[in-house]
Amino acid sequence: MATLTALVQKVDSPAEISSTADRLHQAVVEEEVSPDQVIGVFEAWARSLDDRELDDLPGIPFLRMWLRRGTLEPIIGRELGCNALHGGWTEYGRARCKAFPVGIVGHWPAGNVEIQPILSMTCALLGGNAALVRVPHGQVDLTQQLMEKLVESDAGELLTRRIFMAAFDHDRHDLQEAMARAVDGAMIWGGEDAVLQIRALPFPHWARLAVFGPRISAAAMDAGAWTDPDESPSWCRRIARDVWQFDQQACSSPQVLFLERRNGDSIADFLKVLQRAFESENEAHPRRTISAALTSVICHARASWLLNDPAHQAVFPMEPDWTLLVGCGSDLPQPVQGRTLTVLEVDNLLDALSKFDGNVQTLGLGIADREKERKLASLAGNRGVDRIVKLGQMHVFAPPWDGVDLIRPMVRMVRHVCSTG
Amino acid sequence: MTAMQQQFEHQIESLLDLPPYTQPPEEKQSLLLEILKEELDYAYKRHAGYGNYIQQWPVDYQSAIHIADLPFLPVRILKADPPMSLVGPDQVKKTLRSSATTSQLPSQVVLDAPTARRMTKGVVNILRDFIGPARRAYLIVDTPDFRGAGSVLGARGAAIQGLQPFANETTCCLRLNGESDLELDHEKLREFAKDRANTELLVYGFTFILWNYLVQPLLAEGICLNLPGARILHSGGWKRLQEQAVEKTVFNEQLARVFGCSPDRITDFYGMVESVGVIFPDCSEGNKHGPVFGEVIVRDPLTLEPVAAGEYGIVQVCSVLPTSFPGHLLLTEDMAQVIAYDGCACGRRGISFRFAGRVPKAELRGCGNVQIKRSKVN
Repeated sequence: MATLTALVQKVDSPAEISSTADRLHQAVVEEEVSPDQVIGVFEAWARSLDDRELDDLPGIPFLRMWLRRGTLEPIIGRELGCNALHGGWTEYGRARCKAFPVGIVGHWPAGNVEIQPILSMTCALLGGNAALVRVPHGQVDLTQQLMEKLVESDAGELLTRRIFMAAFDHDRHDLQEAMARAVDGAMIWGGEDAVLQIRALPFPHWARLAVFGPRISAAAMDAGAWTDPDESPSWCRRIARDVWQFDQQACSSPQVLFLERRNGDSIADFLKVLQRAFESENEAHPRRTISAALTSVICHARASWLLNDPAHQAVFPMEPDWTLLVGCGSDLPQPVQGRTLTVLEVDNLLDALSKFDGNVQTLGLGIADREKERKLASLAGNRGVDRIVKLGQMHVFAPPWDGVDLIRPMVRMVRHVCSTG
Repeated sequence: MTAMQQQFEHQIESLLDLPPYTQPPEEKQSLLLEILKEELDYAYKRHAGYGNYIQQWPVDYQSAIHIADLPFLPVRILKADPPMSLVGPDQVKKTLRSSATTSQLPSQVVLDAPTARRMTKGVVNILRDFIGPARRAYLIVDTPDFRGAGSVLGARGAAIQGLQPFANETTCCLRLNGESDLELDHEKLREFAKDRANTELLVYGFTFILWNYLVQPLLAEGICLNLPGARILHSGGWKRLQEQAVEKTVFNEQLARVFGCSPDRITDFYGMVESVGVIFPDCSEGNKHGPVFGEVIVRDPLTLEPVAAGEYGIVQVCSVLPTSFPGHLLLTEDMAQVIAYDGCACGRRGISFRFAGRVPKAELRGCGNVQIKRSKVN
């Protein structure tokens, strides 16, 4: 019964996981599915998500866009080869190659991005795999809602029979171990502690692990961009959007904005525009809940920023809704999250970027000077940044992500050289 | 002392002379608001960083019409070393240090002579309302060296000393053994209990110390001290007892059993080193109240607005007593439920509330929880 396996289920014993894994394994070996077939179901799923009542759920517009054929087909072609879409072989001289699934892919999503269990799962399904997903406690309800829509869209159970969404407490080590033993590949997302713990689980020796560990992201603008009165409102709206999405908890969320100084130009006007953009974004997407811990962190960040240096400025409402911490300097500040953006004036953006290291995942840019942008991109890449995008697109989920492909790591490229050739 | 200091010194003194829980809430709010504004004005000029914070607060403190609108400081800010001070080093008489059980760094607050004096008066004023003004024999469930060294006093020491004005003689009934662990000094305890079956007594200990080093050993030995006149106060929080799965009712019953007194003679009070002179004992209804020289605001984490009665939020403690450090308006890391904004059945006016544990440890979530490890490289 598809509906029994595809919806989120509470799991309480290792035996449940191993028997489920047997079923998933059967599903993979019994029937090959091509990326084209998978995308067909995804498109129907995306249409079912085009529902006003779902619009307020976090990440839904983004998920709809990700599931489109127009988004996924080019990714399949680039990662798996030009004939891979229909499950065909691609000729390479006397040899031919084809992507086969690794088998069952286990997914350990992070607790910070609501739709991550779904996104991670889609990557494995596109490679023809089955997906065994551990759904973090806080994401069960949303995942359940989304999976109900998938079940409706997949009448033939092409995908739903290949999916098992398991809900169990993260400190159930026996269940984590059972899950690790059952999979042929794993996509692991999260903070340092989580990633280290999961990587240490007893995976089979052949299992392929794709690890998307902890990162932060930054934004930068040159003076040509932030001083342009016609363009700055649009840039600020883009920055606000990047901060708001995923509540600034994703690795692609900007925590700091570097503004390159230009003699005679004050950032005061730009800050007013940025403040208005934050106010508008907050009006459009107000928080519905917040943990007391995050409120506490936000209040502390505001106070310590202003107390530590009388030259520091800050703009924030009485509520913990958003915060701009303003100062000078080229060092990356400690991330605060909670829609708290540190805005730092710097003499030269190259100074700030030269201090980046592998911790920075995404650099969002608003640069008027094209030549400068090329230099900045080269320097950022050299200093460990994996994604360099326009402001407003910092979260666009497109491979390579963290410098690696999203589908290819969970397929085997099988090479066939014809014996009679 | 400046004219400004003299003015609010006088105002604070007059509040300290009032009965602590009889003011109608609106009157109390307006009295406190005016003094707090003056204290902010004073602090603003004495600490550049604090001045910057006050200046950039979204509401101008001088035109604020509610205490809740004034710029509050998260209490963790007081974990600074050196401590934040509004007075010169020559005026610092004592430094209080928190126990720092849930974090690595202790809070430190500096006291000048006026603040230290007000602290004592504040505690006396509050406790008199609960245990009466009489001096009595005082059993300290701690070691005699609770005062620590030099001018630095820990949270336990501060609480023990705060009760001295109610004592005419003191006995400490714990000692350190050869391994520097606390243990019960049976001889001292027996001596203290001798011939006091019909006497009013005062007993104080940190909650977990009372349980681990007095209640547990005496229960194990089947000893009852037969002190029905004991008035037992304890503070320090429940975290360690929760770890041992000890409920408050069980604690009270067992504690009363070893003293041979009624459980209603036991009073749990909440106090923070950072909120000098303002403590919150449980009333007969099990609620806590703010005294006339202090206030409690319970803030909704989503809006930071004061919550409605019945709701939970983050506790802010307000006090007019400290002038040597910026401890007037402190957002704590504790949660509480507001029971009512007035009309507690115990007769005390103003807000009644109950603590509901700590704000969970604040940590960055998910993939953004990276530490900046290498960004200091030049």
